[in-house]
Amino acid sequence: MPPPDNRAWILVLPALAVLVFVGLIPLISVINYSFFDIFTLKDRFWVGTEWYADLLRDPALWAALGRSALFTALVVFIQFPLGVGIALLLPRNALWGSVCVMVLAMPLVVPWNMIPGIWLGFVDVETGLAGRAMAALGIGFDYKFNAWHSWALILAMDTWHWVGLVAILSYSGLSAIPGAYYQAAAIDGAGRVQIFRHVELPRLTGVLMMALVLRVMDSLMIYTEAFGINAGGPDGATTFLALDLGEEIAAFNYGPAAARSVLYVLLVLTLAWAFTLVLRGLRERS
Amino acid sequence: MRALTLVAVAAFILAPFAQMLMLSFTVTLPHPGEMVGSLSLRNYRAIAGDPALTASLANSLIYVSANVALTLAVSLPAAYALSRYRFVGDRHVLLMLLAFRIMPPVVLSLPVFLLFAQVGLLNTPFAIALVHCLFNIPIAIWILESFISAIPRDFDENAFLDGYSLPRFFLRHLVPMIAPGIGVAAFFCFVFSWVEVVFARILTSTGGKPITMAIDGLFGFRTDVGLVMAMTVLSLVPALLLIGFVRRHIAKGFRLRV
Repeated sequence: MPPPDNRAWILVLPALAVLVFVGLIPLISVINYSFFDIFTLKDRFWVGTEWYADLLRDPALWAALGRSALFTALVVFIQFPLGVGIALLLPRNALWGSVCVMVLAMPLVVPWNMIPGIWLGFVDVETGLAGRAMAALGIGFDYKFNAWHSWALILAMDTWHWVGLVAILSYSGLSAIPGAYYQAAAIDGAGRVQIFRHVELPRLTGVLMMALVLRVMDSLMIYTEAFGINAGGPDGATTFLALDLGEEIAAFNYGPAAARSVLYVLLVLTLAWAFTLVLRGLRERS
Repeated sequence: MRALTLVAVAAFILAPFAQMLMLSFTVTLPHPGEMVGSLSLRNYRAIAGDPALTASLANSLIYVSANVALTLAVSLPAAYALSRYRFVGDRHVLLMLLAFRIMPPVVLSLPVFLLFAQVGLLNTPFAIALVHCLFNIPIAIWILESFISAIPRDFDENAFLDGYSLPRFFLRHLVPMIAPGIGVAAFFCFVFSWVEVVFARILTSTGGKPITMAIDGLFGFRTDVGLVMAMTVLSLVPALLLIGFVRRHIAKGFRLRV
């Protein structure tokens, strides 16, 4: 247990000062705007909780929330088994291990506004590698007007983009397991599945929670990439939470946009707090 | 079987990149003397000849380096404090880090724009460098904290007994000791800052545009897809170089402490 010493605050202060300036002050202004009808920033009227009441009665908000929740659930169910599976298969030797890590990390460094463009080029029926392959196999792929295909494309793109993060984090968790654990399991005659269940999975919990927080939050608030594919269409089928917000800001509806932002912040904070409780519970048990 | 699966995964990841690379060497709009669809270096020559595009490369490198430097400078002491001491409110600090890391940028984009307008930071790369600290400081603190916690406490105490002050201890002992951790933290800060577009867009509407926004500007009535792809390829180069440097350390030390 580290010793108590409140002078440690001095060391934390510079980081907190920056966070207050770029995070807390803007957050407080958003909360403030959410109670006003704003024509220009000098010309605004107090409307109390009107925007919130409007929003909570708006079926479009709940539909978008449902779509985002479904999207996040699919992302987690696809990317976690896949990412952990890849990590288990990765070679442990230095050369091939780092080659694989480099390949897995590549999609992470692509600017987010370019990701839809790359994928649209990839599935283009006339010039794209995947698009031509599908056409040759007789698969009609129409992401623009077929909602199922839109979803499939966004999920494939998101998996391509992020599965490397899950795999790299899991790989780092696996590399930290001492060889003695495997030897002990081998002496006990444990099979591959048992080793995974009783040796590897418990030691992966920490990194997997980290990956889960990042993936759940980023997929719940997906904006740039999903908008680039089909701008929320066809017929609103891929309008996720943050896409609505982006449109409101673009239309200069600052009051309602601020109220919507505050609701999203509350959602994010609730989830952060829930994650914290789960993590602390896990740590106390181990 | 194992090798086959890994090759399939690699193919899935690399195929879109292959497509992008191919398009970047292809003529995609009619130009005098060149056929649409023919292979050519014209996209790359067009970038080299366009001052707005080359300036955007410089802007991106400026803001991302400034961000990494600032983030590391404030995160190292904070990570040390969180690793070595308990203090009033330390758990709240950790929760706040988590909350700011997962805050969607689109929620804060408007007030950040107004705030930065008031202090006269708009349309410079430094505005982006500062605002990206929002999600990079938490990441850097988590990574550095786990590297510092891996060092036994005796290491600090011996240095203090030798008469080192805290700043001198940081520079002479701690930084060399956790150099891989600093590399990994710098890598993740670089990556998350390099790919972000929501803040970058709202803060650089008229000047100081980074690569991402320069690419956005290329889209129009008749988009030159080849040029867009060539710009994207260039935008990947610095990040790929960085992956090469930290590849052996990436897979170490990244955990969430709350």
